[in-house]
Amino acid sequence: MTTPWRKAMRDFWHERARTILVILAIALGIAAFAAVMSSYAILTRELDRGYLDTNPASAVLRVDSIDDELVAAVLQNPEVSNAEPRRTISGQIKSGPMQWRNLMLFVVKDYGDIRVNKLEPEKGAWPPAPGEILIERDAFQVVRAHIGDAVTVKTANGVEQPLVISGRVHDVGQAQARMENIVYAYTNLDTLVQLGEKPYYDRLNILVAENRFDEDHIRRVAADVKSLIESRGHEVWRVDVPPPGKHPHSDLMGMLLLAMSSFGLFVLVLSGILVVNLLTAMMASQVRQIGVMKAIGGTRTAIARIYFSQALFLGVAAVIVALPLGLIGSRALCQYMAVFLNFNIYSFAVPVWVYLLVAVVGIAAPLAAAAYPVWKGSGAPVRVALADFGLAQTTFGVSRFDRALTGLGGSFRPLLLAIRNSFRRRARLVLTLATLAAGGLFFLSALNVRSSMINTLDRMFATRKFDLTVNLREMYDNEKLLQAVGETPGIRRAEGWLTTESSLGNERFGVVALPADTQLLEPEIIEGRGLLPSDTDAIVVNNALAGRLAEMRVGKTLTLSIDNLEKSWRVVGLAREAFSPSVGYVPLNAIQQQSPKMVNSLRLSLDRPDEDSIAAVKTSLDRNLEQQGMRARSSTSKADTRFGFDQHMVMIYVFLIVMSAIIGVVGGLGLMTTMSLNVLERRREMGVLRAIGATPRIVWLMVIAEGLVIGVLSWAIAALLAWPVSKFVGDSLVSMMFRSGLDFTFEPLGLVIWLLVSIALSAVASFVPAWRASRATVREALAYE
Amino acid sequence: MISLHQVNKKYETPAGVFAALRDVDAEIRAGEFVGVVGKSGSGKSTLLNMIAGIDRPSSGTVTVAGTTIHTLPENKLAAWRGRNVGFVFQFFQLLPTLTAVENVMLPMDFCKTFPARERRKRAEELLERVGVGPQADKLPATLSGGEQQRVAIARSLANEPPLVIADEPTGNLDSVTAHDILDLFRNLANFGTTVVIATHEPGIVRVSDRKIEITDGEVLR
Repeated sequence: MTTPWRKAMRDFWHERARTILVILAIALGIAAFAAVMSSYAILTRELDRGYLDTNPASAVLRVDSIDDELVAAVLQNPEVSNAEPRRTISGQIKSGPMQWRNLMLFVVKDYGDIRVNKLEPEKGAWPPAPGEILIERDAFQVVRAHIGDAVTVKTANGVEQPLVISGRVHDVGQAQARMENIVYAYTNLDTLVQLGEKPYYDRLNILVAENRFDEDHIRRVAADVKSLIESRGHEVWRVDVPPPGKHPHSDLMGMLLLAMSSFGLFVLVLSGILVVNLLTAMMASQVRQIGVMKAIGGTRTAIARIYFSQALFLGVAAVIVALPLGLIGSRALCQYMAVFLNFNIYSFAVPVWVYLLVAVVGIAAPLAAAAYPVWKGSGAPVRVALADFGLAQTTFGVSRFDRALTGLGGSFRPLLLAIRNSFRRRARLVLTLATLAAGGLFFLSALNVRSSMINTLDRMFATRKFDLTVNLREMYDNEKLLQAVGETPGIRRAEGWLTTESSLGNERFGVVALPADTQLLEPEIIEGRGLLPSDTDAIVVNNALAGRLAEMRVGKTLTLSIDNLEKSWRVVGLAREAFSPSVGYVPLNAIQQQSPKMVNSLRLSLDRPDEDSIAAVKTSLDRNLEQQGMRARSSTSKADTRFGFDQHMVMIYVFLIVMSAIIGVVGGLGLMTTMSLNVLERRREMGVLRAIGATPRIVWLMVIAEGLVIGVLSWAIAALLAWPVSKFVGDSLVSMMFRSGLDFTFEPLGLVIWLLVSIALSAVASFVPAWRASRATVREALAYE
Repeated sequence: MISLHQVNKKYETPAGVFAALRDVDAEIRAGEFVGVVGKSGSGKSTLLNMIAGIDRPSSGTVTVAGTTIHTLPENKLAAWRGRNVGFVFQFFQLLPTLTAVENVMLPMDFCKTFPARERRKRAEELLERVGVGPQADKLPATLSGGEQQRVAIARSLANEPPLVIADEPTGNLDSVTAHDILDLFRNLANFGTTVVIATHEPGIVRVSDRKIEITDGEVLR
């Protein structure tokens, strides 16, 4: 070890408390960065691996009915490696006194030999016996039942059948049941018969033999299979090709991780600021030593190397502390995400490139932060350096700003001194304020984004004047439906709507046909106009649809096939619907030419939209519909839909709050460093204060007050910037995750909370420096150099 | 060895231009022990700084051991100084976090004058020579003023410079210690090192070969 290196290390040892603070702060930044990067590596690998292990279907064909012969015929095609029939049927499930929940029931042909869209048995029975169902692991929280419990299930035919939950399965490719507020269950044909349904399969999942990830290839193969099935006298209603090899949520997760990694880098930059502060102070206090070293032959480079080696040490030490922390953090993050997206993580192994990246970034960041203060400090000419007396060399009082400060009123001089003292090291103050204000900004953004999201949802739900949606089993006559509704108490208004689908190119989107004079939907038209009773070929598109398809512009005319009716449509309006899937609205009479007055869905506005009233209406309406020979397939209340949205929002909110907490801690460490440097540099002044009669208590209070001044200032900066910054953060997060905008509102309570947090944080951060300052005796303080 | 020709040094101060040196001409031969005397603020330190290459003249030339040092860039100057000039300060200026022997090794590390393995041994010998061998592994804060200045002198000799410059080396010492320190410098000069000392110390007359007297920036003849 050379002497310069020894000096670097001993100087740090001399200032060990501060050195440890800075190492911790950098380590926190690196740990956040490491946690995100390793989570990114683990999650992308495990999500796609777990998903691919299930042999996800390359394409799904909806066919009128599928038998073994048909499957065998499809398998004759060498481009198809596997084909398996399933049945998917929607219905409702009820456990004990709970109300009915929407159910998606999957009928699997042979549980012993699932080759496509594999399920993983987790607990209980496998396969389910007749009269039994298995429940997707995440759906247990929706159905609120346990293995062994008896539940009641009904499909659209209305037969209520008691069944037993006999096991738990994991269906990786399924979206999280809790988010969708739907129960996924798995059973067999026998049970289906018990439910009063005909025993047939209606979906063919196929797996292509080659080029599994080539969407065009899959579409070609699926088209071949479709014509084969049709040539055998079957009808194919629809062919779906999901994005190959990609978990349905992998894009969403990528976005989340991207947001997190930019945050990790941000924290790293903030902790770099602490390095700048520490080394600037260090260089300032070492001016004389630098001069001496130059006088005895040290070149600028040789001297800079000493201080760079200190930055290097900071980085290495921080990386050593941060790596295990980061790995623990990434484990927690991965587990959270795995639950959120409902998949298993088989290995937490972190690839080597992550370690390397973290090490390089962790070591380079403090070096980069040190570059300016070190190079500047080591450049001081010998004569100036030797003439410097190290301490109190700031020239307070020269600038107009300083003189303005002296104009600040108040007669309690110690407080005045504290206020002016905070402004002595201007650059350090700015950097400290920046870190603290950043924490405040994130916190305020979190609250503002949350209230904005609530506001946006409120506005969206305000356009929907119906409390309950009842999807019907098939098309029914509107008049007959309204008659059944009329016999049901508690319904204020009802409208029959027709919901169907259409597509343009490969993009599929929803079509809602509604009475042109509807009173249950008041869309927020942002361009063009809404539907009019006289319209025959008008379509109003929502922003999600307009965003996906360039043709969907107000004023354009295009040809669409809706309900097997191909005709041209004119886009007359653009409706804003936050967080919604792509939907086009058309007048009901414009598509009813084929089947006049027929609708497949009811929208109801109720007298009392609470949970009990909704349940009562549902039960009574089901009965009245049945008397007319009609059946509901499923029903969703506004509150159910809202619940799903809220679940997604909570995630963004939690993410922002956690970020602001981490930045708050970094900011607190920064303030602690600043205060301890301020106190260190002013030991002599503290001695003078003591000599002219200040009690230790006053000295202590003065330092705390100085910290509070900084804390309150940072709060003011955060408060000023909170509006534009939260708007930007909210808009970018929401547009990234949901391709949607946000109706911004400002949460004033946040300002109060953050003011209290700032005060508490700065009091805590200046506590130790203040205590040390107050303990210095007069003699000690004056002798200190 | 040292030659100053028509050296002027002016400082810009808020109160106006201040002339620290005026038309200074001086010659110092190799192995000479010269005392620079004068009152506080007379320009002694500035003159020493010129010779050591710590400060540059406003006009005139400074030649030391054949090098016109005022023309060297800052970094070259530092390296030149490391090899050619040993500097001793009034307040010792040892680096507080390095031990005595490490302080002496530092110039050798900077200038890479001796093989790394020999540096410690050489530093110990130098400490021995100035009489603080037993203090080699102590930190400066635990040494007395006289001991610190001895370590500083040992450090100034680390790279075997032909020239040693000392600015008030005894200004912070009691008279007995000051006497010993001056003897130490005399000893250096006896072995061929050129020594230039700025001082108020009356005893300088006893040990130096001659003195240069300076008043208000001008050298008295």
